[in-house]
Amino acid sequence: MVRPQLRARTLRRVQKKTPGNRTVKHYLKRKPSKAKCTDCGAKLIGVPHVRATKLHSMAKSQRNPQRPYGGQLCSRCSRNLIKSRVRPLQ
Amino acid sequence: MYEIGRVCMKIAGRDAGKRCIVVDILDQKTVLIDGETRRRKCNTSHLEPLPEVLKVKKNASHEEVVKVFKEFGVEIKDRKKKTLGTKPTKQRKTKVTSSEKKEAKPKKAPKKKE
Repeated sequence: MVRPQLRARTLRRVQKKTPGNRTVKHYLKRKPSKAKCTDCGAKLIGVPHVRATKLHSMAKSQRNPQRPYGGQLCSRCSRNLIKSRVRPLQ
Repeated sequence: MYEIGRVCMKIAGRDAGKRCIVVDILDQKTVLIDGETRRRKCNTSHLEPLPEVLKVKKNASHEEVVKVFKEFGVEIKDRKKKTLGTKPTKQRKTKVTSSEKKEAKPKKAPKKKE
């Protein structure tokens, strides 16, 4: 039996194969939820969902898409936003 | 719709939200653009045409495009030119003889006991 702390479901379990062909469980901290578009709610592509400590070690360009509103809006919504600003009122 | 001189807004990519001019038409889908954006080939689906059409020659240089944009009322900042620096050359360490070492590093005075 593992120690009591690991019996709770606060930590996620990852099955790993060791070099000696044994499967072991690794207890890792849970990942945060995926980033979503603030307009339509779609899951954002290009935004890694890892713990904040890992994000710190990444380059800035790896954390977010480099377009305006990157990491906040999905590409479709940001296109529509720019279009709606530019188009003359009908 | 995308004739030469047409002012457009870039919708996609890191240049999104910046204005540009169509400088050349390469294909049914693709055009060459320049202006606030980088001078590059662009798919027309990544552009939003604006009502204005400016007078530029086909394949106009970046300087000409900047001039036309200035008359239009948009100032384009100078881009940083890439300067190729010289590679740092490694210098081999010269061996220091033991006698020279002694001269370079004088012995520390022993600590005084209080």
